[in-house]
Amino acid sequence: MIEFHEFLVAILRSGTPLIYAALAGVIVHRSGVWHLGLEGIMIIGACVTIIGIVLTNSFIIAILSAIIICIIVSILQWFVIEKLKANQIIVGLGITGIGIGGTAFAVESIFGSLAAISAPFGIPRIGDTFGPYSGLSVLVFIMPFAVFSLWVLLLRSRFGLRLAAAGEHPFAARSVGANPSIMRLIAFCVGGLFCALAGAELAAGSLQIFAQNMVAGRGFMGFAAVIFGGGHPVGSAFAAMFFSIVSVVGIRMQIHFGNFVSHDLLLCLPYIATVLGIWITARAKGRTNSASQISELRVQ
Amino acid sequence: MTEVRKDIPAISCRDVSVSFGEVSALSDISIDLPLGGIHAVVGQNGAGKTTFARVVAGIVKPDSGSLLINGKKIVLGNVASSRSTGIELVHQSFALPPSFTVAEALEYGSGGGVGFFKKGDLNNRWRRHLEALEMDIDPRHLIQDLPIELQQAVEIARALSSNANILILDEPTAVLSPSGIAGLFKRLRRLRDTGVTIVLVLHKIREIWEIADSITVLRKGKLIDGPMELGRTKPESLTPMIMGAKDFKENISRISDENSDNKVLDQKSISTLPKNKKHALEIDGVSTETTDHEVSLENMSIKVYQDEIVGLADVEGNGQVTLLRVLAGLSDISKGKIKICGQEATHLNLSKRRLLGLRIIPFDRNMEGLSLTSELWENWVASELAVTPLIRWINPMKIKERCKISMSEWDVAYNSPEQKASDLSGGNCQKLILSRELNDEAGMIVAAQPTRGLDIGATNFVWTTLENARSRGCGVLLLSSDLDELFKISDRILVMLSGSIIRELNPPYDLEKAGRAMVGESG
Repeated sequence: MIEFHEFLVAILRSGTPLIYAALAGVIVHRSGVWHLGLEGIMIIGACVTIIGIVLTNSFIIAILSAIIICIIVSILQWFVIEKLKANQIIVGLGITGIGIGGTAFAVESIFGSLAAISAPFGIPRIGDTFGPYSGLSVLVFIMPFAVFSLWVLLLRSRFGLRLAAAGEHPFAARSVGANPSIMRLIAFCVGGLFCALAGAELAAGSLQIFAQNMVAGRGFMGFAAVIFGGGHPVGSAFAAMFFSIVSVVGIRMQIHFGNFVSHDLLLCLPYIATVLGIWITARAKGRTNSASQISELRVQ
Repeated sequence: MTEVRKDIPAISCRDVSVSFGEVSALSDISIDLPLGGIHAVVGQNGAGKTTFARVVAGIVKPDSGSLLINGKKIVLGNVASSRSTGIELVHQSFALPPSFTVAEALEYGSGGGVGFFKKGDLNNRWRRHLEALEMDIDPRHLIQDLPIELQQAVEIARALSSNANILILDEPTAVLSPSGIAGLFKRLRRLRDTGVTIVLVLHKIREIWEIADSITVLRKGKLIDGPMELGRTKPESLTPMIMGAKDFKENISRISDENSDNKVLDQKSISTLPKNKKHALEIDGVSTETTDHEVSLENMSIKVYQDEIVGLADVEGNGQVTLLRVLAGLSDISKGKIKICGQEATHLNLSKRRLLGLRIIPFDRNMEGLSLTSELWENWVASELAVTPLIRWINPMKIKERCKISMSEWDVAYNSPEQKASDLSGGNCQKLILSRELNDEAGMIVAAQPTRGLDIGATNFVWTTLENARSRGCGVLLLSSDLDELFKISDRILVMLSGSIIRELNPPYDLEKAGRAMVGESG
């Protein structure tokens, strides 16, 4: 039983950042953009949270500054795609590059070295009442509510319908008086919020450490979960959870079979699962026909 | 519903001008459409009908002018402002996201705020709305699964969900089958009787006569006349207004003057009695299957002799496009035969037909005639490469040299053969197409609206080119809905209606007669 609890804790720990990243990807995806900047914005969230805790000794200030900076970077991404009409794939990858390089630069200019920074404390824990789960952060606890809220917002509100219309058929959105460009801006801002939470949970949820390039492709896996889940918040959250189960199983297998199987191969499991997941979704039809399938904004 | 007064026009626009880049879509339009009734706004493609509808709906912001709805001035180019005064627009290609359910598609445009809902409530609410409109549609169906008539019905239901008192429909009949059109008209009449002012953008004259109470004619972005009450106007006088032959009375007298002392025009009347001439094109009893998108051809026969220009007159939407697709081998024919320059070509593909001498100048030069993102020389050589083996050595330098010579001969204004075709103006684009198509091997030229959107100079150039081709011994089939053009250069004119040739006209042409023939009246 304890084994099972440990297993579940491990899944929640590794899965929560992925799920937040996927949620950010989902809302932006539905507004008509492929959010390939997830990785970069997520690492900025992680970096700002840890630096914030170290410099201010306040978790609240740290997480708020992470959210604000992630939203600003998201707005930058929106601006370049929407207003400067740049190809959204290239911009997304560029934002990722800025995130990875920029956080390393920030760490070096503040602390004078590129070594990993550890913070004295992380995100508050949910507390002893939860028994074996007491070590989990409040962001893990909030996560299901976030998924549910986003589902309500996107699939059970007029706002969500307009957002989807802006992504799928911008002219339709315009002809009822909704501005697709503003819809995308809102989507990017909410996406920035979720990226900040994803980064914060990754760096300060259980580790309390920031190392260079520590996101290590989780942003892209979050994006894969968006595609896997067909742009549906709940589906994408489950897809992200699936990836994290695979990765936890991979780590467990290292312990048990480490002597027989190359551990690099086992570490690859989540990525292999990602590719398989995408392949499976490609065969099953997704819920939204997001405009972003053609990788350029539809302008009508 | 907002309070309305009978004496104030429902839509009153003053000096509205719209231009897209250098193209003027509407220039100084002032129209007052009275309250109530069904008002038709008619004109050809590019006349500015859709732009007018979009200006009123707030989707397009005019460069100048003002707009009063029910006597109140509205903010221009603002959909929310137009909608708040009760204007709703039903688009030509429906503006509904395909993956939405019917209920979602009705919901997303309604009201303001975030608007949370439960799925069951949503479906029930919109089911009641659809039932009230006597539309038998399940709100749970996906838009993309609905047939086109029902999609339009949903769009109309959406437009009527917010107390619309002015409903604008942009080419609503273009996508409908005859029975769908009947259903739509029934629905519109019922709406009119409840007090909704309806504005219909149309271009089929027969439909206008069936449904409209008043007519407003636009041509080339200008208001020609209107709104005219239907009772006070006749179909045959409408055709010339739409087609641009309004001032043609003068032209006719000019032609008949010239006729007396001009040999070329004398010849025209003789050329209708050909002797020992070969056919450049024979279309013999061709029919096509009925489809949703195209008007089908019914037992169509056209014969074009070498060295004559045959004009094919029709109001758009009577089968021009289908005929061109059939000639290009893009649409299958169910019966009949096609011969090009005496050779059987019914089952040949386009490149084989080209080898027989067929040349086509397509309707839309920017989409079908040229690849705007490719360079000039690539565009120029494309037709030549299409009929040569797939694997062949291509020498761009040589091609560019030949292209340069050809383009200078044809008077194309260009900087270098490596320019993108999108850099050229409309007239130069058409010249580039002509330079490519009209080489010595051309035996039969099919020109579809070759002067549409061109200025006078370029138009004359195209006409002279076609006349030169004729004197070289080419057959020319000129598809046009511009009577001025047809009268000017055709040796005879065939009138096409609903996919059939119904009349042949010979010079000297009579405007009234042509106008009547094109709407299907005898006399």
